Amino acid sequence: MNGKNRFGGRLAMVLTFLFLYAPIFVLMVFSFNDSSSRTLWKGFTLDWYGELFQDGIIINSLYTTLLVALLSSLIATVAGTFAAIGFFNMKRRVRTPLMTINNIPMTNADIVTGVSMCLLFVAAFGAWNSFAQQMNEANGTSLPSLAMGFGTLLIAHITFNIPYVILSVMPKLRQMDKNLVEAAQDLGCTWMGAFFKVVLPEIKPGVVNGLLIAFTMSVDDFVISYFTAGPTTSTLAMTIYGMTKKRISPKINAVSTLLFVTVLLLLVIVNLREMQQSRAKKDPRRAARSAASSRRGTILGAGALAAVLLALILLSRQNNSRVVNVCGWGENIDPALIEQFQEETGIRVNYQTAEGNETMYSKVVLGGSGYDVIVPSDYMVSQMRQEGLLAELDFANIPNFSLIDDTYKHLSYDPENLYSVPYTWGTLGIIYNTAMVDEPITSWSALFDPQYAGQVLMINNPRDAIGVGLMYLGYSVNTTDEGEIREAYQLLAEAREQGVYQSFVMDEVYDKMEAGEAAIAVYYAGDFLAMYENNPDLAFVVPQEGSNWFVDAMCVLKDAPHKEAAEEWINFICSTDACLANMDYIWYASPNVQALADYPAYYEELYGEEMDPALYAIMAAPEEVLAGCEAYDALPAETNDLYKELWTVLGIG
Amino acid sequence: MKNRRSLFALPYVVWMALFVVAPILLVVVYAFSSAAGGATLENFRDMGGYWVVFLRSFELAVVATAVCLVIGYPISYLMAREGPRFQRVATVLIMLPMWMNFLLRTYAWMSILENTGLLNRLFSAIRLFDLVNAVSGALNSAFGLKLATDVQYFQMINTSGAVVLGMVYNYLPFMILPIYSVLAKMDRSLLEAARDLGASPAAAFRRVILPLSLPGVLSGVTMVFVPSVSTFAISRLLGGSNVMLLGNLIELQFTGSSYDPQLGSAISLVMMVIVVACMYVMNRFGEGEEQAVML
Repeated sequence: MNGKNRFGGRLAMVLTFLFLYAPIFVLMVFSFNDSSSRTLWKGFTLDWYGELFQDGIIINSLYTTLLVALLSSLIATVAGTFAAIGFFNMKRRVRTPLMTINNIPMTNADIVTGVSMCLLFVAAFGAWNSFAQQMNEANGTSLPSLAMGFGTLLIAHITFNIPYVILSVMPKLRQMDKNLVEAAQDLGCTWMGAFFKVVLPEIKPGVVNGLLIAFTMSVDDFVISYFTAGPTTSTLAMTIYGMTKKRISPKINAVSTLLFVTVLLLLVIVNLREMQQSRAKKDPRRAARSAASSRRGTILGAGALAAVLLALILLSRQNNSRVVNVCGWGENIDPALIEQFQEETGIRVNYQTAEGNETMYSKVVLGGSGYDVIVPSDYMVSQMRQEGLLAELDFANIPNFSLIDDTYKHLSYDPENLYSVPYTWGTLGIIYNTAMVDEPITSWSALFDPQYAGQVLMINNPRDAIGVGLMYLGYSVNTTDEGEIREAYQLLAEAREQGVYQSFVMDEVYDKMEAGEAAIAVYYAGDFLAMYENNPDLAFVVPQEGSNWFVDAMCVLKDAPHKEAAEEWINFICSTDACLANMDYIWYASPNVQALADYPAYYEELYGEEMDPALYAIMAAPEEVLAGCEAYDALPAETNDLYKELWTVLGIG
Repeated sequence: MKNRRSLFALPYVVWMALFVVAPILLVVVYAFSSAAGGATLENFRDMGGYWVVFLRSFELAVVATAVCLVIGYPISYLMAREGPRFQRVATVLIMLPMWMNFLLRTYAWMSILENTGLLNRLFSAIRLFDLVNAVSGALNSAFGLKLATDVQYFQMINTSGAVVLGMVYNYLPFMILPIYSVLAKMDRSLLEAARDLGASPAAAFRRVILPLSLPGVLSGVTMVFVPSVSTFAISRLLGGSNVMLLGNLIELQFTGSSYDPQLGSAISLVMMVIVVACMYVMNRFGEGEEQAVML
């Protein structure tokens, strides 16, 4: 082999490693960036690490991830070892088909495994819950209703872990001398005794290897967890996926860096130990001893590390017995309010987010729920009310409801106002970057204009997107006329065909508009103000054709596990102080009449300058703007189906 | 005696029936039923509209698998030729990124590929766009072409190319490791024997190394192809919404904006059948040994 050849080979390898590591390096460097920009370096800071440890959602999901990995890998190792011994002792005729079934979770696409288990849980819990309800009503028993959560997540992880354990134990069983067990038994050992004294030591490397693979697989899994964890439980991977869909915070980079460094350290320690071991090989007796102690040490070390982490998290978590599961929108609450509520009441808030109304609806229906409080928009409140998903509220527990402006009570989505308490209101409009377009935008037509090809971010939910088309065409956003809806869809489809849309986004819009990735977006007034803080080139317009006026309202689900805590939360959020703080953070107008009126004064006191009346008018749209706006009503089922169908077809492109 | 010990597998057999077989049967049941509950073939009739997505998913997955193979095979081969210490370090280096969640690694590519991302910033810093614009301008005036002369960035994110890159990046180790582990275990004397018997290096590779490494290749191809064809996170992060793959289509029907688990099940079922068929055909070429090459 000549030297030149070898050099070329090494160069190729170096390039491959560069390819594998460059992105990780980028992530790590920007975790120290003194700005939330992901591409511009502004100076060194450790702030993101500090924030990371105060982020209850991330810490909680880390806890879930480690706990489920530890439990599922231990259970799978025990179960898988016994199953492997059982399979090994079977006749080939029986074993082969069983092994094929055993291999299904490994060979099937993760998404199919996830979806299929999800369907099983939904079907089983659906049957159980309706049975429990009947029993409770008829016999006065109190059978609990079940929902997807940690339990289903654990079952799913055990299920996909066992095959890996079997796969790694089986070859060791085959290698084992069968006469050993018989010899032990002939010498008076019971089978169990023989198992512990003879079989287990023989297959131990396979068992340990299986345990490690199972643990790794469990930590690394995203897709199967995503479909089986239910709406209120979240693993680290799921939290990260959720974060990439919102305003991206360098906290993600900090998580990655910590994970990477931890694994790197572990691997270095393991390898150093094994190198020592190979050096000791010259003395066989010492080698055997050090090999055993090294392996044991590694496993003990990893186990201890996981245990210490779990304990730390358990201690740092306020382990309150009372919990409320809230599902809101991304970037739609001041996190300080959650802290304050937890301190005042001792109730832990498990705050989850959904991307949009339709996504939230899917989660509620499919997940067997588990949420207590949800914050759907008007038309979705109406739809869920009609489908019997919502609980009647006990307004005696929500005295602050009296602070809400009467304008937002008894609206068409909840005419008797039994189910909902308004949270925020606002308008839909166009956000554009004045530095990237030639003339001010005043019409929805900009969203279908090939002149802006590749520069437009269309909103990623069917009601708003098709609504934009309807408004541009001058139709009602509540039309049930199939022809009109198809016409609106056609506009979108053609614009998509012509490459007008860079992408369909929900909360990804923050990053993209703030960074100047796109020139035009459809989004909500409050979010514009949040973006404007970071990029003053942005402008907002409610187009001349008129727009949508919406109310997001807090509701409690019928099968909510913590109804009282839910009402306490709602009452807290309605208080004038909470509304003021929230408005200052999320920039959505509050239905609390006093908070809305006081906000400019609050702003002035806080920032020492007067609030720009133009901005206030965007947040709380004045009468004349609202006059041109229409609220969404719930649509009949067949129109909903049409929306779903058109939306799926539009996505295909 | 023998039969009694096989009973150890009984709990797991029950578990499999409950959590492996029953869920798959449910997918089949859902695929053939309507939202109202009756049996129907409607979900499959709708499928016709989605053939574009099937085509696109399989196309991108095949491209990603091919690229992984083209990069992965030589790298594995080179690795296997090195000394034991080098091999050890290299294996660890290839596995290390896999311990970091794949979403994080994919997300890193977002910041690199965006219009205002690191790569475009780099190009702009070295005045690449000025050069491109100048060249386009010159070509325009020389040949009367109509090339754009106001290029400020290269569109990389939100394209199918970015999605393929994401797949290759995430799944390359799944290709390298199985091929490498087969090549590393291979008996060197076979190669020497072939050379001694007069085979040229190329012939020795083609007739000895390649056939012997085939199980590793097949294992690698499966481990890259299956997750690629069914991914929804990579296409979502790097393809924006411009590159809808099967995974996205399925997710849309379950937890997304078009709630319709029946249709979602039908799509999953068809995808599963096609993937299983592909794997079956492919494994006919190798020895259908039930031994996946583990790490």
